[in-house]
Amino acid sequence: MGSSAPRRSADPRFGRIITVLAAVAALATAAGTGPGVAHEPDDRLPASVTMDFVPPPPGSYALHAIMRAPDGPVLDRDGRSRPLSRFTSGKITLLGFIYTSCADPRGCPLTSQVFHTVRHRVSEDPELRERVRLVSLSFDPARDTPAVMRHYAAGVPRNGVEWAFLTTELPRTLVPLLDGFGQDVRVELDARGRPAGPLAHVLKVFLIDERAVVREIYTTSYLFTEVILNDIKTLRLEDKMPRRAAP
Amino acid sequence: MRAIRVRETFLGGILGVLALALAAASPAGADETCNSPYMGNLIKGQEDYLYVWALGVKSMGDGADKLVTIDVNPASSRYGKVIHKVSVRGRGEAHHMGFTDDRRFLWAGGLDNSRISIFDVGTDPARPKLVQTIADMPAKTGYVGPHTFYAMPGRMLVQGLSNAKDGGGVTGMALYSNKGELIATYPMPATGGGDGYGYDIAINPQKNALLTSSFTGRKNYMRNLGELVKDAEAMKRFGNTMAVWDLKAMKPKKVLSVPGAPLEIRWSLKDGDTWAITATALTSKLWLIKPDASGEWQAKEVAVIDDPTKIPLPVDISINKDGTGLWVNTFMDGKTRYFDLSNPEQPRQTYERVTGKQVNMISQSWDGTRVYIASSLLANWDKAGADDEQFVRGFHWDGKELKPAFEVDFYKEKLGRAHHMKLGSKAMKSAYGLERTATLR
Repeated sequence: MGSSAPRRSADPRFGRIITVLAAVAALATAAGTGPGVAHEPDDRLPASVTMDFVPPPPGSYALHAIMRAPDGPVLDRDGRSRPLSRFTSGKITLLGFIYTSCADPRGCPLTSQVFHTVRHRVSEDPELRERVRLVSLSFDPARDTPAVMRHYAAGVPRNGVEWAFLTTELPRTLVPLLDGFGQDVRVELDARGRPAGPLAHVLKVFLIDERAVVREIYTTSYLFTEVILNDIKTLRLEDKMPRRAAP
Repeated sequence: MRAIRVRETFLGGILGVLALALAAASPAGADETCNSPYMGNLIKGQEDYLYVWALGVKSMGDGADKLVTIDVNPASSRYGKVIHKVSVRGRGEAHHMGFTDDRRFLWAGGLDNSRISIFDVGTDPARPKLVQTIADMPAKTGYVGPHTFYAMPGRMLVQGLSNAKDGGGVTGMALYSNKGELIATYPMPATGGGDGYGYDIAINPQKNALLTSSFTGRKNYMRNLGELVKDAEAMKRFGNTMAVWDLKAMKPKKVLSVPGAPLEIRWSLKDGDTWAITATALTSKLWLIKPDASGEWQAKEVAVIDDPTKIPLPVDISINKDGTGLWVNTFMDGKTRYFDLSNPEQPRQTYERVTGKQVNMISQSWDGTRVYIASSLLANWDKAGADDEQFVRGFHWDGKELKPAFEVDFYKEKLGRAHHMKLGSKAMKSAYGLERTATLR
């Protein structure tokens, strides 16, 4: 496009995330709470919004190519370094950023709850079971070590649907991923400019097709299981048709 | 797609009144209670900054369109003062703005040059910085006059007002990624009762509903108003419709007849409410949009604003956080009016005050106690001579009276014409401003 975009090094989005991650690291040191667990769905968790409509059926609408999913090194729950692309291609992927100490019921726990429900529904569909994966990627590398992520994942039952719990070794390896997805992270500061509260972020869940292209982004206002499932089925129907060019 | 036939005769009756008015108005929209539901980080306490997108005036200062930042925190020593300004290239009829979903960037459009300026307001909210310009919207989409900027997750939905082919009102929406890359275009419905026109966008995710309204094309909105109102054929070319879209599918479902240029659309933010309201500029009415008992979307005229035969020209509106009250600015008489929306089927005007010789935009804080008003509509539609006041005025609202708090005279400050306003907060800086980068690299 004919826009006058700034040079990469001048992009304030990049530097800002770096500085936020410094605060994240400081918070992780200062805070004393332990990591949570990706537990089973909890009906007591307040749903953020109510879906008051019948979503359009799969294949009746287009999911546009929004952007290519970024790539970079991540750590799996066993501490092995892998490219993120290993987890964003080859299957239809639902990816969300989390941090294990997140307690906001409208944040990471809501994502976890929706992921559990989607995973359960996918597991019951032989057409989808082997073709869909879930990814939870931490944006708190200082606290969410592979061991912590392994503990966090311990509550997830096996049902044949892949759910990867990933983290990164250092903030500098996480930053390009956050920047690439456009995922913000904020931390409140006290009067002296020190980190003084939990991480804050706009909840986003990314639907990624088998070629690592982001096709939909959900937030708290639109994180509806039925919509997500229909979108997954729409991508499956699309895969049976001639392929379009990646962005 | 369902459709309702549009009435087309109302305009003839108002031509004479408009011709006598010498000046008239167009539209606009903004404030903390009308942001996209996808936006995080709403400012629910005291805002610190007011960003004003101002139209440049030839031989005034640098003559360019600019983003002006005003300190609006009463606790600040700089309260009511301009603390920063950043100019863009030339004059392009600066009009509306919208934050990205993460509130880190502010997109601002020019109705004449169709350029979209993207400002970074996250790094230092007190000092916005121009970081990107999208200059190829007409070439890429065929649409011109980027008007409404509506945040969607990771994307920005931009409503055009016109088209590059004939400058008429037939237009569409363009969807961009937050990084400024074009993703898709959506033409406004031009069949089944649709006129193809566009103006505002408003989304209700819970209903999977996107509402659009309609105004007029570039040939009209860039024309001298005095000439325009004498051109009967041109005056027929204003929008008379709203459209209900299937948000997920981004397909129009139904065209609603709302004669007289329905402009800003505001959904009630109260939990459980499923209605929106709009004001028609040329017919001076409030219209309610809601599903009927069978779930079918309907539009219904629910109130008149002053005496429509006098063409008070309602422009911007602002709904309060619980959907019980609505501010309406009427450009011609310079009045700011408050309507009680306790029963949205029967809005009642309960207050009015002259707040300027011409008033267009109105924004309110989340709690409704602070109200900001700006003066300009369009460069060629603003009043002339002594009536051409250009200002931003702040008021306190105690539920009974608007009390002046501060004023910035945009002509005296050589800033141009004050148009759209959005609120800013230091909290954005505390989120992104730590200076520890070096230790992490």
